[in-house]
Amino acid sequence: MVEILKQYIGGAWVESSATGSTPVINPATCEVLAHVPDGGREDVNRAAAAATAAFDDWRRTPLLSRAQYMFRFKDLLENRFEDLAEAIVKENGKTRDEARGEVRRGIESVDFAVSVPSIMRGYKVEDISSGIDETAERQPIGVFAAITPFNFPMMVPMWFLPTAITTGNTYIMKPSPQTPLSMQLVYELLDELDLPEGVVNLVHGGKEAAMAVMEHPDIAGVSFVGSTPVARLVYEVCAKHGKRVQAQGGAKNYIAVMPDADIGASVANIMGSAFGCAGQRCLAGSVVVAVGAAYEPLKAELLKRASGLRVGYGMQETSQMGTVISPAARERIEAMITQAETNGAQPILDGRGKTIDGFEQGSFVGPTILDGVERDMPIAKEEVFGPVLAIMRADSFDEAVEIINESKFGNAASLFTSSGRDAREFKYRVKAGNIGINVGVAAATASFPFGGQKDSFFGDLHGQGLDSIEFFTDKKILIERWF
Amino acid sequence: MSAQSDLNSFGAIFAFAIDLESRLRDYYTAAGDPGKAADADKRRTTLERVRRENVTEIKLEPIEGLDSADFAVDLAEPSAEGMAKNAAIAARFYESAAPKLNVREAQRALERAGRAHRG
Repeated sequence: MVEILKQYIGGAWVESSATGSTPVINPATCEVLAHVPDGGREDVNRAAAAATAAFDDWRRTPLLSRAQYMFRFKDLLENRFEDLAEAIVKENGKTRDEARGEVRRGIESVDFAVSVPSIMRGYKVEDISSGIDETAERQPIGVFAAITPFNFPMMVPMWFLPTAITTGNTYIMKPSPQTPLSMQLVYELLDELDLPEGVVNLVHGGKEAAMAVMEHPDIAGVSFVGSTPVARLVYEVCAKHGKRVQAQGGAKNYIAVMPDADIGASVANIMGSAFGCAGQRCLAGSVVVAVGAAYEPLKAELLKRASGLRVGYGMQETSQMGTVISPAARERIEAMITQAETNGAQPILDGRGKTIDGFEQGSFVGPTILDGVERDMPIAKEEVFGPVLAIMRADSFDEAVEIINESKFGNAASLFTSSGRDAREFKYRVKAGNIGINVGVAAATASFPFGGQKDSFFGDLHGQGLDSIEFFTDKKILIERWF
Repeated sequence: MSAQSDLNSFGAIFAFAIDLESRLRDYYTAAGDPGKAADADKRRTTLERVRRENVTEIKLEPIEGLDSADFAVDLAEPSAEGMAKNAAIAARFYESAAPKLNVREAQRALERAGRAHRG
């Protein structure tokens, strides 16, 4: 009997009010792992009521006491580290190492939240006028919520929840219905913490639940990570309803490789960028722009290394690349490869139709390299979100920067070079929120904001780092005089 | 260099090392050497911790040129000579694997385990 997941509301596991549910499917084995309720407005209302009721008592809980919960939370996460990684592999399809890396990054966000007592401070100036002092205090705001994606089902929620509650807010999490299991496990650990009832809440569901979160009058702010059209919608709807919002969208990340780059070391890193997590990463390198003489050796090395990648079930430790999220995703990715071929690109490594012995029904797409990609082709401009790497050519550094800056997206870009001058120019001129120099996955650590520009981010304050303190607190100004 | 080597990832190397130390712990216990068994078990727990703390998502890169078949220990041979031979194989594994990793703390753990097996 496959479990129907419960929701966590007001400190208790409760059934959803929804009558329908959706299967959660292991994309490698096609096993039905659980059913996730198709929660909606009623569930969100219950969660918001619980979070609202909990807020005043929680904000009055001393900050150091709130931080102590994070120390214990970290301990519980470390103890269940491998279980969390396994849940991610099964629901998402990535490899064990990738899942472990994700859990590690999630725990790093808890580490950051532990530092909130040191960084949530306000500031004060004496004698702004005779005998009058002025203070800016940071205060928590109320109920926050997150709508999170399938590709990092544990890490992305952790960007938000630990800092939000340690700063004194209460929280509602709505994970992707495709990958709710790791968050279910995280909430089992949160339940063990004995937080006051209602401080953290978990609701399941798809679009209806997401809309309810965005429109609920008692939810003060929303964090979102997903595709660009939905990020734009989240931004607009939340703004219309008077909420703070940070909405991260899609990406098309370019990697420029200069002739002076160390090709072997560069390609080893580009492999992880392009094919890690089967390309389902908003920081995945999707287009390599080979500058001048870099083209031939780069192409040869990419082909050699990508051909040797072992694709398989993520639970097998020797698998170097897992599945994409679903058969629908596989079909969409393969269709984009076919379209690129029709448009004149050459698949020098073709991952279409990939099957793995023992997992014949799994949603595998092999590593794919498309050569001869031109600037006007959709494959050079549109997000694939799969293990597909396009190779383009540029005559010069300036042309490479021009190609990159043409993109409507601005999530990440990388340069591989041994020139400090080019590295600085790249960082200075490229319009992307996360820049890698000889690093293919320019992922901000927990104490830095996760950048994003253009159609890759909607909002003012990014997730993580000091931006998250700003996002989850308001500054109240106190002007005082004593007679 | 074989593209089909089975110790082809951070996780595969650590899984092999953790399994190796588990088996060595049982082997030393059966051979009546509780001190060596305790040392192997400590290395196992250290390796589990280091794997957990140092798997760095942005630096996961495929690893080539390491095969478990090259580091097979003979756990049916409990003599002093057999133990020395197995320790040498284990040390050789750690010495071969450490340079393949690109995270210094993980490298250091393997290097330390290798030195411990060398005595």
